[in-house]
Amino acid sequence: MKRKWLSLMLALAMVTSLLSGCGGGNSESGGTGEQSPDAAPSSTVQNTIFNGELEQNITIRVLENDTVIAKGYFAELIDAFNEAYADYGIVAVDANMDQYLDLANDGPYGYGPDVLYQANDIIMQYAEGKHVYPLPIEQLECYDQIPQSAWDAYAATIEGTEYYCGVPVNIQAPMLYYRKDLLPENWESEWDQDGDGVPDMTQRWSDLLAFSQARHEGDKNLYGYMKSLDDVYFSSGFLFSYGAYIFGNNNRDTEDIGFAAGEAEKGAWVLSQLASAMNEDCIDSTITTNAYSRMADGTYFATITTPDVYSTFIDELTKTYMGEGLDQAAAEEKAVENLVMTGLPKLPESGDLSDESAGLIDSKAMGGINGYAISAYTQYPNACLAFVEFATGYDMIMKRSEMLGIAPARADAAQAAGETSQQLFDRLEQGNIIIMPSVKAVGQIWTPGQTFFIDLAKDVFRPESEKKYTDLSAMKQGLEEMSQQIYDAIHTLN
Amino acid sequence: MKQNRKAGRVVDSVITHIVLIVVCFIFFFPCLWLILASFSKSGSIYSFRGFFPTEFSLDTFKKLFTDTTMYNYPKWFLNTLVIALGSCVLGSFLTVLTAYTMSRFDFKSRKTMMKTTMILGMFPSFMGMTAVYLLMTQFGLINRLWGLILIYSAGAPMGYLTQKGYFDTIPKAIDEAAKVDGATNFQIFRKINLPLSKPMLVYTALTSFAWPWSDFILPKLLLKEKDLYTVAVGLMSLDETEFARFAAGSVFIAVPIVVLYFSLVKNMISGMSAGAVKG
Amino acid sequence: MEKWNGFCEAAKNSSWKVKLSAVVMGGGQLLYGCWQKGLVYLLVELSVLYYFITRGISDLVGFFTLGTQKADPWTGTAGDNSVVMLLMGIFAWIVIAVFLCIYVSNLKDAYAIERRVKAGEQPISFKAELAQLLDRKFYITALALPVLGVCVFHILPIVFMILIAFTNYGGSIVPPELVDWVGFQNFAQLTTLSRFAPTFFRILGWNVVWAVLSTGLNYFAGLGLALLLNKDCVRGKAFWRLFPILAYAIPGFITLLGFKFMFSYGGPINQIIRDLGGTAIGFLDLDAKWSARLIGLFVNCWISVPSIMLLATGHLSNRDMTIYESARIDGANRWHQFKSLTLPYMIFTTTPVILSQFVGNFNNFGIFYFLRGGLYMDNYFLASDTDLLINWLYNLSIDNNYYSIGAAISLVIFLITSTISLAVYVRSAAFREEDTFQ
Repeated sequence: MKRKWLSLMLALAMVTSLLSGCGGGNSESGGTGEQSPDAAPSSTVQNTIFNGELEQNITIRVLENDTVIAKGYFAELIDAFNEAYADYGIVAVDANMDQYLDLANDGPYGYGPDVLYQANDIIMQYAEGKHVYPLPIEQLECYDQIPQSAWDAYAATIEGTEYYCGVPVNIQAPMLYYRKDLLPENWESEWDQDGDGVPDMTQRWSDLLAFSQARHEGDKNLYGYMKSLDDVYFSSGFLFSYGAYIFGNNNRDTEDIGFAAGEAEKGAWVLSQLASAMNEDCIDSTITTNAYSRMADGTYFATITTPDVYSTFIDELTKTYMGEGLDQAAAEEKAVENLVMTGLPKLPESGDLSDESAGLIDSKAMGGINGYAISAYTQYPNACLAFVEFATGYDMIMKRSEMLGIAPARADAAQAAGETSQQLFDRLEQGNIIIMPSVKAVGQIWTPGQTFFIDLAKDVFRPESEKKYTDLSAMKQGLEEMSQQIYDAIHTLN
Repeated sequence: MKQNRKAGRVVDSVITHIVLIVVCFIFFFPCLWLILASFSKSGSIYSFRGFFPTEFSLDTFKKLFTDTTMYNYPKWFLNTLVIALGSCVLGSFLTVLTAYTMSRFDFKSRKTMMKTTMILGMFPSFMGMTAVYLLMTQFGLINRLWGLILIYSAGAPMGYLTQKGYFDTIPKAIDEAAKVDGATNFQIFRKINLPLSKPMLVYTALTSFAWPWSDFILPKLLLKEKDLYTVAVGLMSLDETEFARFAAGSVFIAVPIVVLYFSLVKNMISGMSAGAVKG
Repeated sequence: MEKWNGFCEAAKNSSWKVKLSAVVMGGGQLLYGCWQKGLVYLLVELSVLYYFITRGISDLVGFFTLGTQKADPWTGTAGDNSVVMLLMGIFAWIVIAVFLCIYVSNLKDAYAIERRVKAGEQPISFKAELAQLLDRKFYITALALPVLGVCVFHILPIVFMILIAFTNYGGSIVPPELVDWVGFQNFAQLTTLSRFAPTFFRILGWNVVWAVLSTGLNYFAGLGLALLLNKDCVRGKAFWRLFPILAYAIPGFITLLGFKFMFSYGGPINQIIRDLGGTAIGFLDLDAKWSARLIGLFVNCWISVPSIMLLATGHLSNRDMTIYESARIDGANRWHQFKSLTLPYMIFTTTPVILSQFVGNFNNFGIFYFLRGGLYMDNYFLASDTDLLINWLYNLSIDNNYYSIGAAISLVIFLITSTISLAVYVRSAAFREEDTFQ
């Protein structure tokens, strides 16, 4: 009886919300919920929560990423929002909490933020426990601009219904960073075989390896491409390129762990070939942390990392140029000119980096979609939705991209933000970015993965007699052991 | 004979000092490393040659105290000071009181209590953290500095065995004598035993100050707002590229403990060796 | 038995006034004219009653059900939070226990008053009783606060944790999901994990070696340093002591991060090795079993020695120096004095410290978590060769959010360690002969 009454209320609420129309919702998307009968209950839940009536004279607490606050974007965002919603008396403030705060722990007791910006895997873990609200995404202005692959990162099936629990803001995936001014003088004649005006070593891993070796030969203190292997986030991309995956069934089946699937061992081989042109620093996280200053002082030529740290590289490089006597503005200009952030080079099909003639395949990489979610413990869901709508609007996303160098998840912004963002956007669309799984079990892949990659890196520097990974089958076996460890970690006590 | 002895003493003294210098160097070197790193000009740890930076400047310290938009070090410092001082006063008081009682009074449940506290200390503490967090949410003590003071002071008496061991070595004969003179137990504690145990008080005060001062887990668990962070939590939240600032913060964190040490040091040696009671 | 007889006798002999106290606390006291005390008891009863009516009863019920209505933030259903209910249930039990103690004391007190009155004496005045609390019963006054604090902030969480071992809390079953009692299921699951056995014993072996070595090393290094600084020939003791204090003043986790960096591939030590033409050494990496263990011992020593030195300094200054004088006259050399006077004295006074150091080191989570976390070795089940049991426990349970299994494992570990240390403690001179060094 009670149940019936409840559903009636919900249906009523849905109708009213459809009639009244929500802030920025366009008329088309309001109707998408009706297309299939299954989707109807889902929009019911969302529309009860988000009834479109803005709460007035309230304060909402927004949790943002530290870099965003440090670079001043967040201040601009809340200022702009507060001005726009001054009539309603809605004020957004910095939640002033740890960026890695655990909503599942703090939210239920009232100590969490109202709106939070985090990575998709984190937000979706909250969704499992219903700690974040399902969002009426069709109502949002950004709905059509964001590709389905990005929305998928926020999809969750809960109690048999599919919900979307976050709004994508930017794409996080590894990018190749290199110093243009460290290219050899004669690169156009020696390192541009295809004559497309782009140095080959930034287009093909095999050329990057050859260049790294040459650079190190010339001066023992200099290196070419450098990256710590221990970081699973970056290293696993090489495995994915040759057919590996994280979990089966679209990253949902944790029984099926795919790090050794396909020809993943070729990816491991590529990593170990690359490591041979580095030094022992690639075994632990040394290179990850010193890349900023080593790129700036010219010791390293290239590295890979995510786009959100672009500004840190620029800062370091600017400091170097200023040390060479340039003034602040000129140094910064020179830094922006010389530090190039681009997509990942292509891999040889055979996995053999010394084989110049091999066919080429695209590099895949592990990535994430960062975005906004609304805490299920907020008292002002509609004001929060208004904030999310505002923050994911074209203008704010463009500003975010300008100030932070991030790659927008919105198609229009990605196009306007420049070539790099567009590239990343395309990589996502083409399926070359493997989005981090949205299940809790993903927390168990890191330690086994890290152990394997450390072992692989260490192997390069072991004496010949002690080497473990001498051929592809040994690497395959190593990957299988790692997958087994992940399986054990997830399922032993479950 | 006399000459020989004197020579022996000189040799002994020389060896003692050599050992001391070595030991102090071992303790001092990592500290020196941190101190010099905090004065590094580049701010990055990887621009060092060997252990030490190549160029020095005061900028990091300036930034540490003035650039507070992201990392409000002065505020963290103040928070930590409040917590540590509160816990130090309250915690030492409770600890000494407990230790003294357990050493001087003979009551029914005493041995049981001693055994129980012994066992309780053995629980892997992080398992109880969930409960502490829940408890504090129920008392509404999340984001409250004095909630932390409460926990630290309540936990301090658990370590009373150390102080009890000390009180056990103060002869009860003095107590008896005072009792004959008509002093109450409370007076005996305050006027006789307390002054005799200054070195132990210093130790207790220092440790009960240092624990909250450098603890990371509890403040991380109970303080959610950045403005309420303690230095330890704040330093952990620093970005990885901020090494010099991290070093500067870590060096400065040591200052209050060193100050406390100097202000208490003259009380470290006293009590029995001064000859309060003999025989 | 004796107590029971005493109780029966009291029940038989006492008048209705005492029996009134059994129903209305403080009633007997009031009737005999001790109105202050009577009021205090009455107030206790009333406030406990108030607590139980307002929330105590539902808390107790919640302790058994652990919640019946699941919360759903999406529909705005305010449901039960099982873990909070468990916690508040335990709290209610503690209130009951404390209340019972007061209740019994109330009866005893009423009976005692009656006996005094019957014997023709005046009941002890309230003032006199308060005065007693500062004198003969000073221990009650002194221990009230510490015991209360320890009960709430130590015993309550520990009981909570023990009880968690008998529920299915963890994994996907965390609030808002409802938690249930499952009896010994978690322990049964532990016994089925027989393939853990080799890892368990391998880790246990290293854990014991680690605890013994590091405790011994820390203790004797700290004591040695204190003795060294206590020598007459050392001038400026405050200055020398400053260096260990400085080390003590820097929080442990910063020290650990600092040492980790020092020994890393890009750290200063390897940089110097390379500059001298050598190849970098992986002090803490995958293959570095014993060098990592030794570094762990050294770093732990660096962190713990200062506080032990401080403690030992305090104790050393409390020695009776006359014994040393007579020993010197008897011709005992320094080593003899140390062996037969200083060491027994120190061991006696610091037995509890050594034990708590041992336990602390046995459960030292931080050292290898910070220095060498994030590795799973061959031949180990989800652990590395430097991990202690507590690190393994963390990998297995907390990292996975399997709280109930984690609680079960730590309960087992706890039973082992506590039995051993309790046995040692109860046999120790410090516990049995507290007056040895008077």
